[in-house]
Amino acid sequence: MITAERKPLEELIEFVRPFKRILLVGCNECVTVCSAGGRKEVGLLASGLKMALLQSGNTIEIREHTLERQCDPEYIDELLPMIDGVDAVMSMACGCGVQEVARRYKNMPVFPAVNTKFMGASERPGVWAERCQGCGNCLLGVTGGICPIARCSKRLMNGPCGGSVTGKCEISQDVDCAWQLIWDRLKELGLEDQYLKIIPAKDWRTAGGGGPRKIIREDLTA
Amino acid sequence: MENFEPVIVAFCCHYCAYTAADMAGSQRLTYPANIKIIRVPCSGKVDAIHIIKAFEKGADGVYVAGCLDGDCHFKNGNNRASRRVEYVQKYLDEIGIGGERLEMVKMSAGMGYLFAKIASEMTEKIRKLGPSPVRPLTVQASQPTAS
Amino acid sequence: MVEMENIKVAQGHNKVLVIGGGLGGIRTALDLAESEKDVILVDKAYAVGGLMTQLDRTFPTNNCDLCTLSPNLSESGRKQHIELLTMTSVSGVRGEKGNFTVSLETAPRYINMDKCTACGECYKHFPECVRFTPGLDHRAPTCMRYPQATPQAFSVDLEKCTDINALIKICPAGAISPDDMGRRREVRCGSIVLSAGAALFDPSGLDYLGYSAEPDVVTNLEYERIMSASGPTMGQLVRPSNGKQPKKIAWIQCVGSRGLQKGAAPYCSSACCMIALKEAIVTKERFQNDIETAIFYMDMRTFGKDYELYLNRAKNKHGVRLIRSRPHSILRANNQDGLRLSYTTDDAGEMKNEDFDMVVLSTGFKIADDVRELSLKMGLTLNASGFAMTEEFSPVETSKSGIYVCGMSESPKDIPDTMVQASAAACMAGKDLEVSVKDPDGDLPPERDVTDEALRIGVFICDCGENIGGVLDVAKIAEYSQSLPNVVIAEPQGHGCSRQSMEQIQKSIIENKLNRVVIGGCSPRTHEAKFQEVIRRAGLNKFLVEIANIRDQATWVHAHLPEKATQKAQDLIRMAVGAVAEAHPLKEHNIPINKDVLVVGGGVTGMTTALRLADQGYKVYIAEKSDSLGGLGKVLHSTLSGVEVRPFVNDLIDKTKANANIQVILRAIIVDHSGMPGMFKTGMQTGPQMFYRTIQHGVTILATGAVANRPKQYLLGESEAVGTQLETDALLADAPETVKNWDNVVMIQCVGSRVPENPNCSRICCQSAIKNALRIRKLNPDGRIFVLYRDMRTYGFQEEYYLEARKQGVIFVRYSLDQLPKVEAAGNQVNVTFTDPILGRELMVTADRLCLSTGLAADEDSTEDLARIFKLPRTSDGFFLEDHVKLRPVDLPVPGFYVAGTAHSPKTIRESITQAQAVASRAQTLLARDSINLGAAVVRVDSNKCAACLICVRVCPFDVPFINADGYSEIDPAKCHGCGLCAAECPAKAIQLMQFEDDRIVAKLEQLFERMVG
Repeated sequence: MITAERKPLEELIEFVRPFKRILLVGCNECVTVCSAGGRKEVGLLASGLKMALLQSGNTIEIREHTLERQCDPEYIDELLPMIDGVDAVMSMACGCGVQEVARRYKNMPVFPAVNTKFMGASERPGVWAERCQGCGNCLLGVTGGICPIARCSKRLMNGPCGGSVTGKCEISQDVDCAWQLIWDRLKELGLEDQYLKIIPAKDWRTAGGGGPRKIIREDLTA
Repeated sequence: MENFEPVIVAFCCHYCAYTAADMAGSQRLTYPANIKIIRVPCSGKVDAIHIIKAFEKGADGVYVAGCLDGDCHFKNGNNRASRRVEYVQKYLDEIGIGGERLEMVKMSAGMGYLFAKIASEMTEKIRKLGPSPVRPLTVQASQPTAS
Repeated sequence: MVEMENIKVAQGHNKVLVIGGGLGGIRTALDLAESEKDVILVDKAYAVGGLMTQLDRTFPTNNCDLCTLSPNLSESGRKQHIELLTMTSVSGVRGEKGNFTVSLETAPRYINMDKCTACGECYKHFPECVRFTPGLDHRAPTCMRYPQATPQAFSVDLEKCTDINALIKICPAGAISPDDMGRRREVRCGSIVLSAGAALFDPSGLDYLGYSAEPDVVTNLEYERIMSASGPTMGQLVRPSNGKQPKKIAWIQCVGSRGLQKGAAPYCSSACCMIALKEAIVTKERFQNDIETAIFYMDMRTFGKDYELYLNRAKNKHGVRLIRSRPHSILRANNQDGLRLSYTTDDAGEMKNEDFDMVVLSTGFKIADDVRELSLKMGLTLNASGFAMTEEFSPVETSKSGIYVCGMSESPKDIPDTMVQASAAACMAGKDLEVSVKDPDGDLPPERDVTDEALRIGVFICDCGENIGGVLDVAKIAEYSQSLPNVVIAEPQGHGCSRQSMEQIQKSIIENKLNRVVIGGCSPRTHEAKFQEVIRRAGLNKFLVEIANIRDQATWVHAHLPEKATQKAQDLIRMAVGAVAEAHPLKEHNIPINKDVLVVGGGVTGMTTALRLADQGYKVYIAEKSDSLGGLGKVLHSTLSGVEVRPFVNDLIDKTKANANIQVILRAIIVDHSGMPGMFKTGMQTGPQMFYRTIQHGVTILATGAVANRPKQYLLGESEAVGTQLETDALLADAPETVKNWDNVVMIQCVGSRVPENPNCSRICCQSAIKNALRIRKLNPDGRIFVLYRDMRTYGFQEEYYLEARKQGVIFVRYSLDQLPKVEAAGNQVNVTFTDPILGRELMVTADRLCLSTGLAADEDSTEDLARIFKLPRTSDGFFLEDHVKLRPVDLPVPGFYVAGTAHSPKTIRESITQAQAVASRAQTLLARDSINLGAAVVRVDSNKCAACLICVRVCPFDVPFINADGYSEIDPAKCHGCGLCAAECPAKAIQLMQFEDDRIVAKLEQLFERMVG
């Protein structure tokens, strides 16, 4: 899932201060699951913004709506009846959603309410951790199911650096050394040989080094 | 602000705090009339939105009252409520209302006296803090002629 | 001839006859009815309710009685299993247990109850037809005894009526029926419960108290009537002599009790000390510093659970003066307005005179002549005072098999003890019946579909007597409510929970086509179910009602600020109106019930309960933490009346072990618990190996007992000459030779009780001191025994043993907390130094034996764990806290849980057995059902909104939600506990908790601040 976190309220207030009426749009997918931009967060933010603005004498009308998914145009069309008459849109979706709303409603200022963080997993209730950076050429088959790109601070491809101490990364005791994890798991699987194989230098073009990426499934295109 | 009478919403769990409030009544303990109780089955049922809405509508203070630690009728609802209250306190700071206007308290069903005591202390505390920075504006916003 | 009660008395014998419709009789009848057993409840009065209906308020909650009693009364008027025969007396009883034939005589009422609407026209025009009025004035405002009367009808006194035709004409309902002749009939029954209550001592014969001559000398019951909102003065406290408010009131205790006056009973009436304290507190609460109160007493007997706290409250918070003295006389001083009391106190040698405006005589209870006559007719053995005799360990069984006794008919007692005994009698009397076939639910009208209707809200405001109406203007509140949006009708409703008001509300719902109802009254905790029933009977779904708790949350707590209370009551009602607009019809869920029982604790109480339930065919598990049955009962040898305890306990153990329906689990430590009434699951570690096992059961009974208190005081544990009363009891049985050589024995009462660390009275110590003193006396008639006490609390018939001890020369010396006795070791003996309050001098006794009355303390270790595991509240001294001190004394606040014996509070074996039987009865009221209602407060998931995020799955304390095959969260309503945690955390707002939906909570908030905005 794509994870996100609400921006500091201060920043959001500045976005909307010039406006009298805005539409606050949530998304019922990833940002709901990571409790950053679902129906409930939309409600909380709307109230928070109104109250914060009131203190400087500004009143604002905030329409609330949460879309099933904010990265598909058909869903975004749903906003049409609501968008009429508002001065701006604030999206609580990930960056994809924000951009899609902006693309669909060309004359409307659109602001992000969350900082989109990473593709991650729910380690335990309330904790999300980065798992994937979308490099476009997955290595997990040879690294024991643990990604050295997303989880090694240096994105090293062939074993740990000198900063790996007792299984932890030198940047923080809270961060596991990805290569320690990879080694442990390969050992468990009886695939120690795999570790000795050199992974060649990575071609980062698939990771965005070659410009914005696109996937086309011709059989599905309209 | 000398005659400021705060309005304080107390979300009370059915099994402990609400019962304690009834107990305060049957013991004829007095506490300020500023406290308005909303009954919920468990303090853990109190949504962050309910708390925020209370302030948005005009509350000067809010507290969530649940069972004592380990006594929750629903195992741990009171502790979830405590953590949620801490989270919302931070949000209230961000909004500019101030987290200190929100509190989590715990009591058992038999503690009518504690209910009355907390009600008085909370009222005093909020009285000292003054009206919620949002309240008078809400009133003005909706009714410009209101005094 | 008109059949007054319009009930056809069935001729089967498989039912219980309950004689007396006071509180005890009602409780017995209700318990039996809820256990699906048939009852005939007869009362000679015009309406049921007994003595309690005449009280203003009751201790220790200081509720108005009408409010606490009326839900029971309307229930008893309604229950299908109860045939209520008022104005009916028992004229004869024939037959044996299982098949009695009882002759009943019903007096004519001269009113057709089917037609009477209780409009009051007849009374308005012919007040002389009043037949009975409680209290002072024979011309009370209504001839119904109190506003909540059951049955709901007037009665006519034909003899006093001069123009019958006019009376007939005045009745708009055509209900007056002068041809009424009453009737005689015979009914059959399997068992009988005598709960005929008590009469009050008449102080007219005692000249020195001035009752006959002085109007300002009243009895405690008359004082209750003066204070009562429905009394002759409409609740105005005035002096009968001049109608002015008194400034100074005295209470005189023990009038007609403790053998003090001419014709007085030899026993203690048990409840009068608390009644006087209550009356004084209520008076002080109402008039604060405008009034002075003083109680003249001999021993302050506040021995019940937490009653000592009540005494302390009276003394310390309300400033009620307590004077230990028996006034010599009450005289009207020459040409003076006031009454002069002459009395002396211990510390003053000479007579004091003090003037009061009113004097209240705390008159004791006695058996009425007609009850004594009836008891004899039934063949019961009575004691000298006319109370039905029972065996020590069979507290509700009379000498005649199949006839049981409870309440005041057994011995004088207060309401909680009466309620316990009434349930015990229900248990025992029900045992004699065969299991009856269940009737289907009453015929309710079909539910009206209100989904498409525009909102039509009705608001009904209770005055609850003085409780609400005394602080704010109920009519004004109703007027205000009428102005709220969608409110079609708003009106005051008197005692909303009275039968009459409930019927009016029901009628109003139908007439005004209401589809939502708001009650402004008391706590939904206690009364929501009642009003849900009312609106259901009016054809509405029962969840379309909201209760605004304007009593507990406004008038009770802001009584001194009526304006603020009014404002707040309006706020609460406005919030309720807003919320009820968001209410939707809901469906309830039912599941089958597990009929097994878990009894925690294998002492006398636990075993007694288990046997009673096993007798009724229920499977019972006894979980005992020690390695044997018997508990504290095994340690004790003799009771006050001289009955040996051991043979009884051994017999009980044998019966328990032999019973096929009982499984005893020894060394059982409860470790976990889950579920709900009817489907509990409790885990325990058992046996020497601590094996873990779980038990599934429908109800849980706590009979975990208490422990003998052993405070480190007075050389206890240091000197061999010092021991507790329990140890003395053992020496008396096992080493009488040693006891014989005790020439000087000192006993100290209240050791570790009634002290700041443990403020409550331990109840049993006074009687055990008397018991041991009398036994020591028997072994060594020449020895000297000193009992150092603070108040001798030998309540009820124990008083007679106290008198006996005094007669036999046991020396009683009072001490006070600020002058505690001092104890020093002196070889094998101890020197006990104390102050004699009358001599005003210190005395020293070299005692061969010092017996400390240490009483019982809660078993902190086990009750703390159990309270945590079962989620049960405890009192500050560690005993389990019952649901309602007066009306539900053995029910715990968590449904399906009951408490009995010393786990509830200290008590004697006999009292523990009574509670054990009571609990068996209460448990049956639940077990007799086939399914349990889970209510409708469960969550619903909107699959369109659900993001399948798993938060609900993770947050649920009971592991109920799961993501179903369609990819949405599914929550089984039969398993949902209704806490709403998932609803509060769902990030998609896809989950709503019924009855507590977000819309409803936000509506309350919106309405609360409506006032400020608008």
